[in-house]
Amino acid sequence: MSKVKANSSTIVRALIEVSITPQKDVGFDSIAERIYSYPEVKSCYLLSGGYDLLVIVEGESMHTVADFVAAKLSSMANVRQTATHFLLRKYKEEGQVFKHPKNERRQNISY
Amino acid sequence: MRISKRVDQLAPSGIRAFFDLVLGMKDVISLGVGEPDFVTPWHVRARAIESLEQGYTSYTSNQGMIELRSAIAAFLKKRHNLAYDPEKEILITVGVSEALDLAMRAILNPGEKILIPEPCYVAYGPVVELAGGEAVFLKTSVETAFKVTPRQIDEAAGKGVRGILLGYPCNPTGTSYSKKELEAIARVIKKHDMLVISDELYDELTYDFEHTPMATLPQMRHRVVYLNGFSKSYAMTGFRIGYACGPAEVVGAMTKIHQYTMLCAPITGQMAAIEALKNVAGDVQAMKKEYDRRRRFIVGALNDIGMTCHMPQGAFYAFPSVKVTGENSMDFAKNLLLQQKVALVPGTAFGRCCEQHVRISYASSYDNLKEAVLRIEKYLKKKKG
Repeated sequence: MSKVKANSSTIVRALIEVSITPQKDVGFDSIAERIYSYPEVKSCYLLSGGYDLLVIVEGESMHTVADFVAAKLSSMANVRQTATHFLLRKYKEEGQVFKHPKNERRQNISY
Repeated sequence: MRISKRVDQLAPSGIRAFFDLVLGMKDVISLGVGEPDFVTPWHVRARAIESLEQGYTSYTSNQGMIELRSAIAAFLKKRHNLAYDPEKEILITVGVSEALDLAMRAILNPGEKILIPEPCYVAYGPVVELAGGEAVFLKTSVETAFKVTPRQIDEAAGKGVRGILLGYPCNPTGTSYSKKELEAIARVIKKHDMLVISDELYDELTYDFEHTPMATLPQMRHRVVYLNGFSKSYAMTGFRIGYACGPAEVVGAMTKIHQYTMLCAPITGQMAAIEALKNVAGDVQAMKKEYDRRRRFIVGALNDIGMTCHMPQGAFYAFPSVKVTGENSMDFAKNLLLQQKVALVPGTAFGRCCEQHVRISYASSYDNLKEAVLRIEKYLKKKKG
């Protein structure tokens, strides 16, 4: 589980694919606005491809995130389907690499 | 089996036993490594892997791939306004180590002398002697920040002196020379009609001023054999790719030897080097920035704990004094290793004038450097009683 320490608590992050049934006079923007207005939602993107919105949610635990998806997201009008992916490990983010080789491969001493 | 006199008479490394001791120990923080702690940038490694997948496993031309020689020529022209003909004036070698060896064998007649400022890279003396020449060491000291002076060269030049081997930035001291300082040295070299074998392998790791290749100075190009490579700035030590640039007659002579002894530099390394010149300037700058951060830390920290250390201008080495301990460099290095598990290289490995100094490589993580300083400080306090 990816754990990012903030204010000494452990935060769980999940990427959620959201498929929406577009409605007349509603469109994507207003549905997106309803979703991203929740403080649990850290990022929200409209994408091309197999689903409509990519929503990044943070919570204190898997249960917290799952509860949010069930209670607030999936049940929202015009949300047809969600698929939740919990972040297990960060390799690289915004240009910063998190994984470093642990084994020293160089000889201990050389000219 | 009888060994040749020439090799038998070569002085063995005075610190072989110390090296064996370090290599045999576990959990050592090593500040004794003479190569980058960065892995070769991914673009370069990917190109090397790709070239093998594509079946590039054969010999190249003796002189090296023309694509690489052309890329080097273009790079030197753009970077330093230094022009070399890739057809006749550039040779790709197996590291700068081979280029050094070839240069000496190409230019020296038996008994001819080469001036070498000391302390210096351990191979400088031996390559001159193996080529049948005589190494004349010019001692430098912390008083001149380990820079050789024009006066020293002037006084040493004369009968039998063919030239000078100048490595800058220097391993082990990190010393480099500003353009003005090089111009003063160049005046003396021209006065005595000497050659320069200029080892500029750490050139991109020059921190306080722009590096000036010796060959760019007025009337110097025809008397300089310019050596450079990819091991340090591009973190490509294992790829074994260097190059020599110079007048066609010298490069031709070096190529003649190279074709018989090595045949060519490894094709994988050459293809990786082409990629390095094309696409990793940003990585080089990022590594340089990190080395500089470490440089400032380690020199400040060493001075704070009582090991006086001049600020090196380049490479990734600091050369502090161990005078405060009352020990010589070998005893200090050995005792520090055994008591605090910190490895560094005794100064005597690099010259007889360096009894009171040790080489610290900051090609190691910032955390390692911080921990090493704490352990050195512990050692110093215990020594003080």
